[in-house]
Amino acid sequence: MPLRYCAPHSTVFHMGQAESFSKLELELRRGVVVLATLSQLRAPRYGYELRQALADKGMPIEEGTLYPLLRRLETQGVLQSEWRIEDGPPRRYYALNADGRKLLKKLTDAWQGMNDAMEKLLEEGQ
Amino acid sequence: MNANDVLESYITDVAVRLPRKQRDDVAFELRALLTEELQARALADGRDADAAMATELLHSFGHPEVVAARYRPPLTIIDPADARGFLRATVIGLALIWCAGLLTHLWQPLQTGRDVPQALGQWWVHTVVGSLWWPGLLVVGYGGAAWVRRRWPDTSKWKPRAEDRIQGGRAAMVLGIVGVLSGVFVLLEPTWVLDVCFGGRAAPAAYEALTYAEGFRQRQAPWLLVLLLINVPMWLAVIVSGRWSTGMRRLETGLSLLTCAVMAWTVLDGPVFRTEVSDRTVRFCLVLIIASVLLHYGIRMFRTVRPAPSLRGMQG
Repeated sequence: MPLRYCAPHSTVFHMGQAESFSKLELELRRGVVVLATLSQLRAPRYGYELRQALADKGMPIEEGTLYPLLRRLETQGVLQSEWRIEDGPPRRYYALNADGRKLLKKLTDAWQGMNDAMEKLLEEGQ
Repeated sequence: MNANDVLESYITDVAVRLPRKQRDDVAFELRALLTEELQARALADGRDADAAMATELLHSFGHPEVVAARYRPPLTIIDPADARGFLRATVIGLALIWCAGLLTHLWQPLQTGRDVPQALGQWWVHTVVGSLWWPGLLVVGYGGAAWVRRRWPDTSKWKPRAEDRIQGGRAAMVLGIVGVLSGVFVLLEPTWVLDVCFGGRAAPAAYEALTYAEGFRQRQAPWLLVLLLINVPMWLAVIVSGRWSTGMRRLETGLSLLTCAVMAWTVLDGPVFRTEVSDRTVRFCLVLIIASVLLHYGIRMFRTVRPAPSLRGMQG
């Protein structure tokens, strides 16, 4: 009879716990935060507006994560920003620059490739 | 404090941790964003924003140190892959230093039964506090290694290593044989060293210091001599074949452990040299050699991997 391996019961138990699930889900979300953010910056947006736009489309990102991320992406040279005064207080608007648009295209292609693969993988299990 | 004061306090705590050139700009933006977030929360709750609501918002935003760190590229001093090794080296190193210090400070007071609390105080100040150089040194070492890996990634590429390779190559083995023959030379008659170095004109006290005690000469010296000499043909065979065979490895291990046993017997049995200072020095050296050999084999045993299925997760 061939050897068969099974995970110890304790592992299954722990992995099923809410805390473990939250951590794994957080890891999944971390991988797409940059792509999601870039996708919403084809037109200029300020931080709060961007967060609302992401949340409305089902991708809520914590403010403490999103606002520093915008500055980091700008430092990396994929976003440009400027202060604007429209109807309200001064706000810093962010938008993709040329390098940012190239990066968005590459990341979108990579994401779609992974998404297709994942769909196939997950369909097999159903 | 009102809600605005809470926000200002938080913004200052974040901004002060940022580089000076972006500090004011980020603080201005953060104030606008947090004010907007707070207004939205107050609107959703149907009441005016107060200090408690602002504090709750800021708790969800994150600790100022964490948020400030997010504004900058991540900085890693010790690579996550090295973290466990660093922790293990820190704990083992500190344990050894503290134990050695405890022995040094408490040896005398325990024998006389006096001044134990004072000795413990000295141990704490001189050994425990003083031992912090060790983790500091490890941080510098691991940090330097991580920097080198990032700067020159090719240098850290994994390379396969044959288990039966000769560490240091044949040249190291030849040097080892020279070392063994020198040991044999010293073991036969240590005063020959004085003849070689000083042409026979060394002080009589030096000759007296390097004269074996009769008991050692008759009991342990012949055994040590034979065990040392067996290394020579064994290493020559390894040099010729260019690798360590399993049999040779076992022979080397057995020989080393047997030599350790004879050295331990030497330490415990009686004087090695006639004079006390030489005797104490050589016994201390023997203890160090025994400890390092046993440590070497302990580490080798600990690092041994024998691939086998775990019975715990197996169903037949």
